[in-house]
Amino acid sequence: MKNVPLRNIFLVFLKIGTFAFGGVYSMLTFFERELVEKRKWLTHDEYIDSVAVGQMTPGPPIVNTGICIGYNLKQLRGAIVTTIGQAFTGTVLAILLAIFYIKTKGNVLIGSIMKGIGAAVVGLLLSIVYKMAKNTVRDYKTAVFAITAFFALAVFKLNPIGLILASGILGFVVFRRTTE
Amino acid sequence: MILLKFCLILFVVNSLTIGGGYVMLPVLHKEFVEKYHWLTNQEFLDAIAVGQITPGPLTVMNAVIGYKIAGLIGAVLAMISSYMPCIIIVTLVCKYYFLYKESVIVHSSFKGIKPAVIGLLAAVAIPLGTTSIVDLITFGIAILSFTAIAFTKIDPTFVIVGAGVLGALFL
Repeated sequence: MKNVPLRNIFLVFLKIGTFAFGGVYSMLTFFERELVEKRKWLTHDEYIDSVAVGQMTPGPPIVNTGICIGYNLKQLRGAIVTTIGQAFTGTVLAILLAIFYIKTKGNVLIGSIMKGIGAAVVGLLLSIVYKMAKNTVRDYKTAVFAITAFFALAVFKLNPIGLILASGILGFVVFRRTTE
Repeated sequence: MILLKFCLILFVVNSLTIGGGYVMLPVLHKEFVEKYHWLTNQEFLDAIAVGQITPGPLTVMNAVIGYKIAGLIGAVLAMISSYMPCIIIVTLVCKYYFLYKESVIVHSSFKGIKPAVIGLLAAVAIPLGTTSIVDLITFGIAILSFTAIAFTKIDPTFVIVGAGVLGALFL
């Protein structure tokens, strides 16, 4: 790991956060080109470890990968700076859109646009379900977890936080031996 | 008081959601829409759309929700409460990476959580779908959007912008 000034870390992650369109994989390639190849802040192996940490910790994987890199470069200060850098542009734009959205409430055209977008978001959610299921549901055990969680929320209206915790505990019980 | 509750929910959600931003949707929907009625289904969908078309992770949708509830301070607090657990957990994991990496508890629990959250996400699509899919045109838009994102490499940002255009023309 190199000794990089905090300001440079912030600026690079601000750039990454601003051009962060196009999903996880294109983002990870962008990260690697910028940080490993161009700036040589970390080695390829250190990068792969950071990506792994990002994927196995709660929260957005890309941001978490950045936090891990920031932490390795400059400890806690690095972690905070990479987070702010990555979140800044999106947050500002989101607030501007929220202001616009509230101001135009009742406008017929905006209403129609949002109706179209609402329907598309439902399609988007289902496609995410489809893609995640293709990667994760691989045998009858994982299928039982997915289907049980579905009915527990859709039909029995159980609390999703409780369901996530319960599935973690049951996962430990069921998959403990196969994981070792 | 509302703001405190709001921040606490975001903090808990972001501490638990493993595997990407979409995983937080079932919890947020349950708490914000069904339990506290801070948002309608349509407003929740709109917040997701904003999170999707802005750069960076879907988490920025929380800034939209925070703004709606309490203005600028709500938006800023939303982002702090969303990212604080990430910073805490990731720095701890980085520090003890090798212990964490080998941990059977972590890995086997994740094996249960990952398929379960898929089921939760599918379940939350039901109330959102009944709100937004009301006629043939909205049904068509949903099918188009599903097909485009599931089977092609089109960026979801374009799908959402395209759906907005279709909405302006036909709805």
